Amino acid sequence: MAWDLFLWILSFFVSLALVASVFYQVICLTDLEADYLNPFETSTRINRLILPEFILQGSLCVLFLITWHWVFFLVALPVTCYHAMLYKERRHLIDVTEVFRGISFEKKLRFTKLGFYIFLFIMVVFRLTLSAVYSFTEDDDLLHLF
Amino acid sequence: MNTENRNFPARPPPPPFSSSPFASAPPPGVVPPQSGGPEAVGFRPPARPFTPSGPPMAPPAGVMRPAGQPPLVSQLPGSRPPPPSFPSTAYGPPGGGGGSFQRFPTPPPSGVPPPPQTLAGHLSPPMSFRPQQPMASVTMGPPPPSMTSGIPGGFASPSGPGFQQSMPGGPQPSYPGYPSNQVLQGPPKPFQTPSQGPPSAVSSYPPQTGGFAQHPGQQNMHPSYAPPPTSNVQGLVEDFNSLSLSNIPGSLEPGLDHTSFPRPLDGDVEPSSFAEAYPMNCHSRYLRLTTNAIPNSQSLASRWHLPLGAVVCPLAEAPEGEEVPLIDFGSSGIIRCRRCRTYVNPYVTFTDSGRKWRCNICSMLNDVPGEYFSHLDATGRRMDLDQRLELTKGSVEIIAPTEYMVRPPMPPIYFFLIDVSFSATKSGMLEVATQTIKSCLDNLPGYPRTQIGFITYDSTLHFYNMKSSLSQPQMMVVSDLDDIFVPLPDDLLVNLSESRNVVEAFLDSLPLMFQNNVNVESAFGPALKAAYMVMNQLGGKLLIFQNSLPSLGVGRLKLRGDDPRVYGTDKEYTLRVAEDTFYKQMAADCTKFQIGINVYAFSDKYTDIASLGTLAKYTGGQVYYYPGFQSSIHGDKLRHELARDLTRETAWESVMRIRCGKGIRFSSYHGNFMLRSTDLLALPAVDCDKAYAMQLTLEETLLTTQTVYFQVALLYTASCGERRIRVHTAVAPVVTDLGEMYRQADTGSIVSVYSRLAIEKTLSSKLDDARNVIQQKIVKALREYRNLNAVQHRLGSRLIYPESLKFLPLYGLAIGKSTPLQGGPADASLDERCAAGFTMMALPVKKLLKLLYPSLFRVDEWLLKPLADLDDLKDVVRRLPLAAESLDSRGLYIYDDGFRLVLWFGRMLSPDIAKNLLGADFAAELSRVTLQEQENGMSKKLMRLIKKVRENDPSYHPMCFLVRQGEQPREGFLLLRHLIEDQMGGSTSYVDWVLQLHRQIQQNA
Repeated sequence: MAWDLFLWILSFFVSLALVASVFYQVICLTDLEADYLNPFETSTRINRLILPEFILQGSLCVLFLITWHWVFFLVALPVTCYHAMLYKERRHLIDVTEVFRGISFEKKLRFTKLGFYIFLFIMVVFRLTLSAVYSFTEDDDLLHLF
Repeated sequence: MNTENRNFPARPPPPPFSSSPFASAPPPGVVPPQSGGPEAVGFRPPARPFTPSGPPMAPPAGVMRPAGQPPLVSQLPGSRPPPPSFPSTAYGPPGGGGGSFQRFPTPPPSGVPPPPQTLAGHLSPPMSFRPQQPMASVTMGPPPPSMTSGIPGGFASPSGPGFQQSMPGGPQPSYPGYPSNQVLQGPPKPFQTPSQGPPSAVSSYPPQTGGFAQHPGQQNMHPSYAPPPTSNVQGLVEDFNSLSLSNIPGSLEPGLDHTSFPRPLDGDVEPSSFAEAYPMNCHSRYLRLTTNAIPNSQSLASRWHLPLGAVVCPLAEAPEGEEVPLIDFGSSGIIRCRRCRTYVNPYVTFTDSGRKWRCNICSMLNDVPGEYFSHLDATGRRMDLDQRLELTKGSVEIIAPTEYMVRPPMPPIYFFLIDVSFSATKSGMLEVATQTIKSCLDNLPGYPRTQIGFITYDSTLHFYNMKSSLSQPQMMVVSDLDDIFVPLPDDLLVNLSESRNVVEAFLDSLPLMFQNNVNVESAFGPALKAAYMVMNQLGGKLLIFQNSLPSLGVGRLKLRGDDPRVYGTDKEYTLRVAEDTFYKQMAADCTKFQIGINVYAFSDKYTDIASLGTLAKYTGGQVYYYPGFQSSIHGDKLRHELARDLTRETAWESVMRIRCGKGIRFSSYHGNFMLRSTDLLALPAVDCDKAYAMQLTLEETLLTTQTVYFQVALLYTASCGERRIRVHTAVAPVVTDLGEMYRQADTGSIVSVYSRLAIEKTLSSKLDDARNVIQQKIVKALREYRNLNAVQHRLGSRLIYPESLKFLPLYGLAIGKSTPLQGGPADASLDERCAAGFTMMALPVKKLLKLLYPSLFRVDEWLLKPLADLDDLKDVVRRLPLAAESLDSRGLYIYDDGFRLVLWFGRMLSPDIAKNLLGADFAAELSRVTLQEQENGMSKKLMRLIKKVRENDPSYHPMCFLVRQGEQPREGFLLLRHLIEDQMGGSTSYVDWVLQLHRQIQQNA
């Protein structure tokens, strides 16, 4: 039981980090559009975050798999696959020289990801609450209600 | 059937602000119907100004000429000017005109009338007369109420004569030539009677419109116009050119006459009428819009399938006497709009007795600083207008005060990164380059602040300490490529005037030092990094001389161009983009620190220009490519081009922005630069040979203004150390009519945008796709045009196109056959393709058009003429269609695309000529012969001609190739492949191309 709680606490922080990271990237891109940031700075800031984000998301996905939370795993899987594809094609980083050409797509992509991560985050929070309540009340039936 | 397109090259465009030239059909009998083309006779009405009360003037057949041209009536056999009171309707119906019909359509602002046509067989109308659509001068202020509702374009909409009559009667004061007062006056006069021209004559004609004004759709758009009372001849006048094609698509009837197809044999003819209608616009060499009529709504813009945008060449070379004036605002500071930051320009209006000025772009009312204040005269113009060049000229250069500097203006810096490996010394590149650099030391701009530095590299990096206190340069070798450090960072980049002796000693000794170098490696990446570390304090221009594929250290590249299996697959495009992100990253870093990179590549083997050129692309530079460089052959070319690169006036650490009125926005930019923010182009080093294309989009569904203003501002550091802003301002009317947009289209500019789009497309998809995109765009545009005219004209199986776009199909074909896009993998090496692509992305309009449709002219006859002189190059250089049938085997031809000259010797060319020109080598294989001046008049004459051709355009040095007819495969490679009207390999010929376009246009038409 303690393991379960630990898993959800971990997932909670990971998904929180993912939400924060993507949110920050969106902010950077809007700043670039509004001319508060130059392309050099924007791309360094965003590119710094991209790999950690991919790794975090990927490990979360794997974590769900090995703990056999297959609903969560299936939810997280498409994004992981998409990340893997981007990485394989070397398109994962922002191209500093052509950043304005692809900015609308990058923004759309990040907004979608933001929505997805928030959804994941809410689900994790729900499970975390359940898990916490369960471990404190020691009530087995509660989990089965969900 | 023939369609005769006749230009009037000698005909000067109509005077500014005049009504458009008169359109009328000549009386029958004047023109022999079989002449293959009507005699167009220019006629100039008497130079006295017309007044509405004056006797109506019925112009005789022909086109009005502005002042300065002698009347040519006498040339017209049997013609006599009708009596002055003779109305044009007195032209009787044709007696013997038979099926011949002609007209001189003249859309209002275009001024240049489309050529007359003979449309035998299609129309056999009575002679019709189509009156002028009067063109009112565009005012910069609010329009009169009578105008606002109907014609947002000001003058753009077709309007009946009744419109003209609503003008204030009586002669108005006119300001011939230069109506600047109109701009500045308080309540602007809506219309101005031109001092010359026929508008008053028009008012005496029965109201009658033809062409577009009758378009049902357009009537809805112009509710204020009553339908024209007489419309019995409507539909008989055509506003377009056409090519009659066979009825059965695909089959060539014998009647299909491809010699009548339009060809740009006069080169690029700019729409000059527009420039004359707006004399305060900047010259078209600086800014060319793709159409000089901006659509007023998004729906109209979406029907305009051609690009909507501009091509800007901010530093274009101005001919003597037309230099951009330099202005110092002094203590008042630069006058700019507070809100939109527009610079003061001829189109701003001063109000409140001179204390305020209204920004023309955002309509904001700004205060006039005390130092800049001037009283207004009765007409509302500033008293000191004559002294204020920024208020009268469309292009000015403003000296920028310290607020426009983030650091002290940088000195001109030239840094050389030279490959000294085995191939560089063997080909002689090193020697030619060092000699040229040395000879240019005196002419480098910016003396005495100019700085210079060198790094050479093979498998190691060599730094040179050129401190002025040394007598000989000190060489330092760094062999650690993984962790580059720069020894003595302060003495590598030295002031040229101080270290002149050391630099010269270095340049003298450099070829000797490495002449026995057998190292074949190239540590290009680390060398580039080292150069970047030396330069990033100040920026400047970095010239890279690269002889082989970078093979060591960071940024090493693979031989990826050799794999033919990749071609034709979806992965093909990857060969045309940089392989290693190192290059893009370096380019971005260099731009950030104001380093502009020019790449000179010399290898005969694959060098991955795609990767190397990326450096030039994003730093606003250029790629020069000399495949298989041999100093004996290519030496001159390198010498000239390197000298030009070093000595031309260069703008340093510059940024460029183009502003435009509310409701529209520049959305994409195409060329060699990097975007620093959404609309700011970073150009570390820019010069007169670079042009940038941009496309605009409408942000609002409906534009309410009558005109749109564009302002290009280039902020830069001149070589002398002054910070300057070059400002070009232009205005274009907003129109409601698609036909007007077509009439005002500028083919050169459109083709320039298209070629850039196509080249960009090759970076993400197959060559085929890129070519198809261009073809589809042209088809869509012409189809829309056909639909526009199909309502009222029987088009039959004709391909119709507006006069302004008559060369578009041919140029479209030429884009598909240009080096970056042509054929398949075998047709051009990957490096050549990429190099040409990078070059074409930067070319100004005129040079691009010349490259797309090169000139071909015959010289043997001229050479044989004993007394012919070079005085008039135009007479000699009579361009021929680019087809094999232009070549006569008894002739000597020169093919000139601005980058190469090919001398084609016909098989049956008189041996005397060959002997005179080539000396003793005349029978040898021409690939080994170089053209040298011989001791005879003919050869001297030819060399003078070639010199003159080269001087005409100094930005590149065309190399001379000699080829004899039948000398395969050289002939095909050098010349035949570039005869773009012919069918070569898998490519289509001009005739087939037109048929193909026509077929596609008719589908769904």
